[in-house]
Amino acid sequence: MPQFLIQFAQQHEEFRLPELEALATIENVRMTYNPDAYSLESPFLIVEIESAEKAAQLLNRAILIKTITELWGTGLSWEELIDRVKEHPERWPQYLQVPFKFSVVGFGGTIEMKDKPELIDRFAFTGFMGKIDLKNPEEEFLLIADYGIDPNVKIAHTFYMGRLIGHGKRDLIEKFNVKKRRYIGNTTMDAELSLIMANQALCGPGKLVYDPFVGTGSFLMTCAHFGATTVGSDIDGRQIRGKGKASIQSNSEQYGVKDRVLDALVFDVCHAPWRRVKGGLFDAIVTDPPYGVRAGAKTLGRKDPTKQATGPRMAVEEGVHAHLLPDYVPPTKPYEMSEVVADLLMFAVKNLVRGGRLVYWLPTVTEDYTIDDLPTHPCMELISNCEQAFGQWSRRLITMEKIKDWDGQAVALGPPTGDMNKSTTNPKQQGHFGFRDRYFAFGIVENAKRKKELKEAYHKGGPAAVAAYMKQIEQKKKEEENQQQE
Amino acid sequence: MRLITHNMLQCHVKGCNANNFPLELQEVVLEQEEAELNEDFLRNMLGKLEYEALVATCLKLDINDLPATLPADAAYNDEFLQILHRVILETHIKSGKMICPNCQHIYNVRDGIPNMLLAEHEV
Ligand SMILES: [Zn+2]
Repeated sequence: MPQFLIQFAQQHEEFRLPELEALATIENVRMTYNPDAYSLESPFLIVEIESAEKAAQLLNRAILIKTITELWGTGLSWEELIDRVKEHPERWPQYLQVPFKFSVVGFGGTIEMKDKPELIDRFAFTGFMGKIDLKNPEEEFLLIADYGIDPNVKIAHTFYMGRLIGHGKRDLIEKFNVKKRRYIGNTTMDAELSLIMANQALCGPGKLVYDPFVGTGSFLMTCAHFGATTVGSDIDGRQIRGKGKASIQSNSEQYGVKDRVLDALVFDVCHAPWRRVKGGLFDAIVTDPPYGVRAGAKTLGRKDPTKQATGPRMAVEEGVHAHLLPDYVPPTKPYEMSEVVADLLMFAVKNLVRGGRLVYWLPTVTEDYTIDDLPTHPCMELISNCEQAFGQWSRRLITMEKIKDWDGQAVALGPPTGDMNKSTTNPKQQGHFGFRDRYFAFGIVENAKRKKELKEAYHKGGPAAVAAYMKQIEQKKKEEENQQQE
Repeated sequence: MRLITHNMLQCHVKGCNANNFPLELQEVVLEQEEAELNEDFLRNMLGKLEYEALVATCLKLDINDLPATLPADAAYNDEFLQILHRVILETHIKSGKMICPNCQHIYNVRDGIPNMLLAEHEV
């Protein structure tokens, strides 16, 4: 089978192979490669694909692929590369007359401008006679020198030559740039990751995709961009309504996906009103459950269950039930991350079609995380688990696929419990257990919060307010220290 | 909210498990908004829709275009898909009430957004 050189973006490295696999599934491209030849530290991967046409299909919606090149040779030096290319003269004749250009590219190092013409001349043996067209060539041939990522290495270690098949769709990152989006929130996911998630979910024409923590609707947009029809819900109606003319609806107009963004509804995914459809309602679930300082997950109910009403409550105005008033907002309580994730998994088991995917972010405390933390279910298969690290904490993009119908039997969700007689005195904490509280404790977050509050104080009352705020913090610190000493 | 979404919703008040679909529409304001025909999606949804409930809901709204029963060749019947598209994807409920036929819970739709939150004593 013909070989192709994929050059990935040096960005979100852990997500690159999973995205490539998803693209191959979406486009129905059979592809093989040696996983041992792949490294997170190199953007290059050689794959075998049945044809150049099929290879081009991988680019249709690739976010983490920069280019795919039909590989004509590789070597440890220019000399060796030239020898390899010369072994296949049967490749050249069809390009003898077409307008073309050669490009010389260095990765992790530079090839000086003045050296390039000479280098290109060394490939004159191919006999191309077409017009050289630097702006709009019909074919572009690449000479690539790979210096690796170590900046101290000044000599390239691998050389490639090939015919460019095309570029990925990295320009979509700019199209969905959050800074240019009319309506965003505090936790809006960045464009690149939102697009990658749409690929992981195998979004495409005809599919129905659901985001149960829709927020300002990022995933409704990117999934709809790739042809899916999308619907979202959120317990926080203010997020869905937006402000004035800025809303989920205005975003869907901005991105030209209005016809495919069905609706956004206000409800708590723990109490979801979706009608149960035999065989599953949704083709994919794509979501980022809220966590963090300002926007922790919430569910309906009261923290103190003894205070929860069992019957309708009367409003202050006599004779009216509070919950019937137009502005009634039911009480909510914090929704622990491990519960969110377990509920999300069960929701997917019940409501996804077979073959449907669940794609979500799982925040974890890095030092505690192990693969066993992932809740699992016999109906769901783990497809990929990619980490985006932030130092002491990280988040993982989890992709699961529903592999069989649920028989309605309740099963305990994984992790595998192993030998129950062992270590009952010291049960290991899950990496995402109590995530919110521990996230609070991190210095970085604390500083960011303080910075923001300082800024607000300054806006409200100028330098005097800032001084007062600082004093308040010192006071608090002292009190805490005193408490510790006691 | 589009009529297709209404067809996917049922009452979910604690203990309300039967006769809780379709939610009865009252005092609704409808709006027609053109959208691009999406046959792939309509085909996907044919098996997921509750067609009888859809027809019944439409009749109460004076929308009489849908045939009483789903045509056998629905998936590739252009004329039918066009009508279905107009009804479930181009018809929006801008405001109104959705009432559970069983427990009478009222779900309000305002500015096209349905509020499906339950009250404290209903969860
Ligand atoms: Zn009910």
